Amino acid sequence: MRLLINRNSLLLSLMLGALMALFVCGLAKAGDSLEGIKSRGSLRCGVSDGVDGFSVKGPDGHWRGMDVDFCRALSAAVLGDKAKVIFVPLRTSERFPALKSGDIDVLVRNTTWTLEREATLEVLFAGTLYYDGQGFLVPGKSAVTGLSQLDGKTICVIGKTTHEADLKAVFHNRNLHLSALVVESQEKAAQALFAGQCAAFTSESFQLKEVQLKAPGGPAQFTMLPEYISKDAEGPVVRRGDDEWFTIVRWVLFTLIRAEELGITQNNVQSRQGRGSGSSQGLWSDEDGLISRSLQLQPDWKVRALEAVGNYGEMFERNLGEGSPLKLERGMNRLYDRGGLMYSPSF
Amino acid sequence: MSELQVAVTLLAFAGVIIAIAFNWLDMALAALLGVSVMLVFGIFTHQEFMNAAQTAGGSLSLLFGGMVVARTLAPTGLFEQVGFLFLRATGGSGKRFLLGLIVLVAPICAFLPNATAVILLAPIIIRVAKALDVDFVGPIVLTAIISNSSGMLTLVGDPATFLVGSSVGITFGHYLMRVSLGGVLAVLVLIPLLPFVMKDVWRIRRVLPAEETRKKLERPGFCLLSLLVLVVMILLFLFGEELPFHLVPPSVSIIGASLALLIIYCSKVEPVDAVVRDVDWKTLVFLACMFLMVEAFTRTGLLQSLSRNLYVWFGTDMLVVAMVLLAGVAAASSVLANIPVVAAMILVVKGYLVAAQFVPEIALGPAFTSWPESTLPVFVAMMFAGTLGGNATLIGASANVVGAGISASHGRPISFGTFARYGVPLTLCQLVMSSLYVIALRWFLS
Repeated sequence: MRLLINRNSLLLSLMLGALMALFVCGLAKAGDSLEGIKSRGSLRCGVSDGVDGFSVKGPDGHWRGMDVDFCRALSAAVLGDKAKVIFVPLRTSERFPALKSGDIDVLVRNTTWTLEREATLEVLFAGTLYYDGQGFLVPGKSAVTGLSQLDGKTICVIGKTTHEADLKAVFHNRNLHLSALVVESQEKAAQALFAGQCAAFTSESFQLKEVQLKAPGGPAQFTMLPEYISKDAEGPVVRRGDDEWFTIVRWVLFTLIRAEELGITQNNVQSRQGRGSGSSQGLWSDEDGLISRSLQLQPDWKVRALEAVGNYGEMFERNLGEGSPLKLERGMNRLYDRGGLMYSPSF
Repeated sequence: MSELQVAVTLLAFAGVIIAIAFNWLDMALAALLGVSVMLVFGIFTHQEFMNAAQTAGGSLSLLFGGMVVARTLAPTGLFEQVGFLFLRATGGSGKRFLLGLIVLVAPICAFLPNATAVILLAPIIIRVAKALDVDFVGPIVLTAIISNSSGMLTLVGDPATFLVGSSVGITFGHYLMRVSLGGVLAVLVLIPLLPFVMKDVWRIRRVLPAEETRKKLERPGFCLLSLLVLVVMILLFLFGEELPFHLVPPSVSIIGASLALLIIYCSKVEPVDAVVRDVDWKTLVFLACMFLMVEAFTRTGLLQSLSRNLYVWFGTDMLVVAMVLLAGVAAASSVLANIPVVAAMILVVKGYLVAAQFVPEIALGPAFTSWPESTLPVFVAMMFAGTLGGNATLIGASANVVGAGISASHGRPISFGTFARYGVPLTLCQLVMSSLYVIALRWFLS
C-alpha cells in the first residue's frame, strides 16, 4: 500500500494531479487524423462502392474517378506518394458511421454539403469538389416532358439521401401526389426503371447519366427532364475538431482549382514551379517554408498533388467530361471566370 | 498507427495482463512497464497522450477524493461504530453477514461512484469479517462485485451506464422503467450462488459476546465536520450537475478531498502529510496506466471497423447483434477499463444502427435523442456488458483494484487468480441473466 511514498509519492502526486487537472479543465479533444495518417503511412479514403466517374474499381484492381483522384492528390500532398491511399468502399448508409468511428480519414463520396450534416453529425465539408442538381430520368417513349406530368406516378429514389427529402418537399410544395419507390442503391433504381416499375428515377444528374448509358437498347431509350429540383454541392468531409486536417483537405482542393485558373497542369507543373510568384500569383509562395511547416507538410506538397492528378479541369475532363464515357458538361463546375462556380481563394 | 505499433500495443497489453495474472510482476510496475514500451515505440502522440490523460483524470479524481475523505473519517472511530452495528445485525451468522453486505452496498452504489463506495465501506466490512473470524478476502471481492453490479440499478450508478444512457437520451425515469429491473436481477442472481462460491463464510456461526458495548466516538466535533463533508459530497454527486455551473462527479470528488484536508489541517488531528501519504498511490498509478493502455488499444483501429462488419456479419438481426455485443463488450470489460471500451462501442453501435438503416444518419450526432424503442435492447446489452464484465477479473473495474488495495493494506493481498475464482462464475451467471433480460426486453418492446 505504501509502496511509493515520500519523494516518489510527491512525483506521483504531481503526475496524477496533472491528469486530474486536465480532466477538470476540460481540455478540448482535438483531432489527430494527420498524425495518424503519417504514423500509419497511408491515407484511408472513404469512397462510393462503384459510381462511374467518381469511384470505380476496374477489373485490373485500379481505382478510377473524380473522388479517387482527389484522394490521390491528398495522399501525394501529405505522404508524398499518390499510391499510399487505402480506398474504403462504402454504401450510402455506411459513409458517416465510417467517418465518425475513425475507420476512414476523409470521406470523398459524392456527398451533399448540408447544414443538417455539419450541425448534427459534427463533420465539416472542406469545399465543393462537384456541383450537381437533382433531375429526373424518364423513358424516352413516355409522354412525360415536365415534372407536373409525374403527378401520381411512381418515382424511384434512393433512400436515406437528400434526394428523397427534396423529392418529398418539392411534390408537397407543388401540390403533386407523390408515389415514391424507395430503393437502396443506384443499381436497384436502374433495375426498377428498366423493368418499368417506376415512371422516373430521380437523383443527381451524373447518376442519371450513368444509368442512361447502361440502358438496355441504348441511351436513346431514356431522356432527362430539363427541370432540376435542387442544387447539390458535393465535397470531401472530415470530422469536426480536426482543424489541421480540415485545413489541409480544404487547401489541397483549392490548389487543384487554383492551378487550373493559372494554367498549371500535370505536365507543366515542374517547369511552372521554378518561375516566380508573378506568373503563378502566389500559388507557390511559402516564405521560408512557413506555411508548409505550419501545416506539417513537406514544402513541395502542392507540386506533388498536381503531379499526381493534374489540376481540377484535368481531373474533370478525364473522369466526367469529354475524356470519359459519361461526357458530362462542365456546367456549374467551370471556373468562376468561365461561367461556373469553381473558385479558389488567394494563397 | 503503423502495423508495428498495432502489434506492439497488443503485445504490451497482453504482456501486462499475463504478468499480472501469473503474479510475475507487481500490478503497478507491470502497467508502468507496459506504458513505457508504448512510449518507446511512439504509440502515443502528444495529443493522444493528452486525450488519454484527460479520460483517466476523471476516474482518478473520483478515487483520489474518495480515498482522502475515507482516510479523514478513519480517526473519528466512525467505521468502528458502523462496523459494530453491522456485526450485531449479523448475529454471528456468515449467511447474514453476506446478505447484509449486499443490502448495505447495493443501495449506496446505485447512486455513488462504485470505487468511492468501496473505499468507504471496505474498512467496515473488514472489521466485521475479523470479528466473525472469517477470511475477509471473499467479502471484499463480493463488495467490489456488488458495487459494480449495483451500478445497473440507476442511470447514474455507473459511469459506463451513464455514458450509454446519456448518449441515447435515456432519462432517469425511463431507465427505471426499462433497465433497473435488469440491475436488480443481476444483483439477486448472486444470492443463490453465495452458498457455493463463498461457502466458508456462508456456513460460519459465531457466538457474539453479549456484553460488548459500543465504543464512544472520539473527537465528536471533528467527526461531525468530516461527516458533513461526506454528506456535501454525496449531495453534489447526486445534484451537482443540476447546478448552474455543472459540477461533474470528478470535480465533486476533488472539492470533497479539499474540504476534508482543510478540516484535518484546521483541527490539527494529524498532519495533512499523513493523510496524503496514506492515499493508495499505487492503485492510482496502476489505473492511470491502464487507462493510457486502453486508449492506445482503441487507437489500433480494431474497434473502428466493427460498425460495418456487424452489419455485414449479422445484417438487420438486432437481437443477435445485442447478444454478440453482450458477450464481446463483457469480455473486453473484464480486462479493460470499461469507460473507454464503452465510449468506443457507443459509436460502433450507433454506426451499426445507421448502416443497417434502423435510424437516419443524423442519429450519429450527439444531440439526436429520437431513438426508436426497438433499438433499446442493443444499448441495454452494452450497459450490462460494460458494467458486469468488469466483475470477472481483478483488473476489470476500479472498484476491484481499490478493494484489493485495501485488502492488501490489511495484510491480505488479493491475487488475479483469487479474484477470478470468485469473479468468473458469478459474472457468467450475471451475464446469462442479463441476456435473458435483453431477450425479454426485446420481446416486450416489439
